[in-house]
Amino acid sequence: MFRKLYLLYGLLTLGTAAFGQYRGWSLDTVNQLKNVPKSVRDNPGSYRSVYSGYHHYTGGK
Amino acid sequence: MSTSAPPPPPPPLSPRPRTAGLNCPKCGAAISLRSFGQAITVVCGGCHSILDAKDPNLAILQQFEAITSVAKPLIPLGARGKLRGTDYEVTGFQRRSIQVDGISYTWQEYVLFNPYKGIRYLSEYNGHWNDISICKTLPTADFSGATYLGESYKHFQSAEANTDFVLGEFPWQVRVGEKAAVTDYVHPPRVLASEKLDKEVTWSIGEYMYGREIWDSFKLPGDPPKAWGVYENQPSTVATNVTGVWVAFAGFAVFLLVLMAVFDMHAKKAPVFNHTYQFNRAEAKSEPSFVSDEFELTGGTATVEVKSYAAVDNHWIYLNYALINQDSGQAWDFGREVSYYHGYDSDGSWHEGKQADDVTIPSVPAGHYYLRIEPEVDPSLATISYTVDVIRDVPVLGIYGIAFVALLLPALLISWRAYTFERSRWSESDHPPVQMSSSSGDDE
Amino acid sequence: MSQPVANCPNCGAKIVFRWSSSVQTVCDYCKSILVRTDVDLKKVGQVADLPPDSSPIQINTEGKYGNKSFVVVGRILYEYDQGGWNEWHVMMNDGTSAWLSDAQSEYALSSSSKPLNLPAASQVQVGQQFTWNNQRYTVSVITPAHYRGVEGELPFQYWDKTDVTFADLRTESRKFATLDYSDPEPALYLGEFVEFDDLKLKNLRNFEGW
Repeated sequence: MFRKLYLLYGLLTLGTAAFGQYRGWSLDTVNQLKNVPKSVRDNPGSYRSVYSGYHHYTGGK
Repeated sequence: MSTSAPPPPPPPLSPRPRTAGLNCPKCGAAISLRSFGQAITVVCGGCHSILDAKDPNLAILQQFEAITSVAKPLIPLGARGKLRGTDYEVTGFQRRSIQVDGISYTWQEYVLFNPYKGIRYLSEYNGHWNDISICKTLPTADFSGATYLGESYKHFQSAEANTDFVLGEFPWQVRVGEKAAVTDYVHPPRVLASEKLDKEVTWSIGEYMYGREIWDSFKLPGDPPKAWGVYENQPSTVATNVTGVWVAFAGFAVFLLVLMAVFDMHAKKAPVFNHTYQFNRAEAKSEPSFVSDEFELTGGTATVEVKSYAAVDNHWIYLNYALINQDSGQAWDFGREVSYYHGYDSDGSWHEGKQADDVTIPSVPAGHYYLRIEPEVDPSLATISYTVDVIRDVPVLGIYGIAFVALLLPALLISWRAYTFERSRWSESDHPPVQMSSSSGDDE
Repeated sequence: MSQPVANCPNCGAKIVFRWSSSVQTVCDYCKSILVRTDVDLKKVGQVADLPPDSSPIQINTEGKYGNKSFVVVGRILYEYDQGGWNEWHVMMNDGTSAWLSDAQSEYALSSSSKPLNLPAASQVQVGQQFTWNNQRYTVSVITPAHYRGVEGELPFQYWDKTDVTFADLRTESRKFATLDYSDPEPALYLGEFVEFDDLKLKNLRNFEGW
């Protein structure tokens, strides 16, 4: 009984892995934003990622 | 031939068998025999004398003191229940024990009777029940195992069983203190047992039953006793084709490798942008951020790898990136650190970090893109150059790693559960599994 | 099949023979053992009261064995140190006779077989093997028993035996055999164990409370 469940589970896992490769999933976490105005191209300073945490680097030595 | 003689009276009907009502010769208590002549011995409920059931005067065969606490049968004498489609009545009860390594193990046996189907037995140990009947065909056996009706059974235990306490009627000459050489062979859910008593060998076959089935069958109140541990012939609730699971795993692993190869070949890994920038603290004071030239990302939705290089030497730089789609306004915002430190201390030379960094951005659709970059640099540096590389459509090996672990864990869990269940089963036998840990302490 | 009718020479009661080849019967009224001669019935003995026994089968019980049906017409009771058993004489619907034994609710049907090189009572031993009809039989237990009583119609004369020895032979299947040393010439019965349910017995004894 468990073998059948495992087979099904394995196929799902493989399917998910293949689908992820196909759709370009990655392991790194990146914040996404929408509607960045075209004006940023001329004025990079105006870019503010208000939809996600815009953080300064606080670590390092 | 003459018709003058009166017609003879009808022949007397043979008497209907009735449950005989008699009295104990020792204490006078009423004795009822429920098994219609199949009982050989019967125990007086009052004084526990064992009486000859075939003797109309119930001669006393043995008197025993109930030394240990009087065992109370869980299924009372006289109770009726349905087993295998037939009603049986409990007519006898005994408690028996074996000694293993100085420890006494006791179990209970019930004699079940049906006037048409005969006698069966129920045994109970630690909440585990068995439905037992005497074998009609003889099994073949040797020291390691036995065969019965085409099934092979493994030797589980040989011991001397002592009869501690008896109640009710028995189809044999039972005595308290009688010792039988008992050997159990198992093939879950069945157990094949041989009992040698006074040179006569009897074989019986038992099938595992759950307490709940017994309670439902005999309509007993309350709950059955909880089952402790794994019993010799208890069917495994966690067994499965373990070999089959690992074969499936091997198949999956191979398929995973194939996927890896296919996607690796298929990935374009196309470099779409490369530029080296020079950070200058004076210039950056007014506006540290800038945008790159445009570049195009082709194909469907795919990954984008961004590599950053900087020749840092005990310094750091931090690059705040935004990959912005010129047309849709969608952006991916991320910050990457490039730092490298090295030196000497009491243990020798050490180093930490790298002069390069890479990140893979997921699921970026095709389109026209540019990078917005805002660098932050170690205050001790006035200037540093760094290189940014963008590569379209790279395979992500980490996904295969996760899939591999995801496939491995259930296989391990399934094997582990089946393994520990069987270890538990055999730990009670004459062939216990070898100790894994040094918890016994004796060998160390 | 016409049933021969006669009168008991002891009490005058009507005696009916269900089986045409019956040699002996017991009068239901006076319990006289009667043997059929060419001319009439002769009383040869008396049956003592039979002990209360546990068999659910009785005279006139009907049943099925394979595609044949049968009716119980007689019995012989035996006793040994562990108890007793019954050998019920049954008449099959094709007119042949067989034996349905009931020993502690273990049932078996057998019929008499031609004797072939059978060992004498003193020679038979547990573990000995014989091959009859391409089947291997092993002697499993030798039981000294004694005759306890008879009832109904039997295919031979049988009464007042003292000790009789039986050798049970088993195989790896349901087939079994019995060597009967009641007479100076050993008799062989070949048969098989049967399940109570498969016999589809009707007209069984009533047990109080069941």
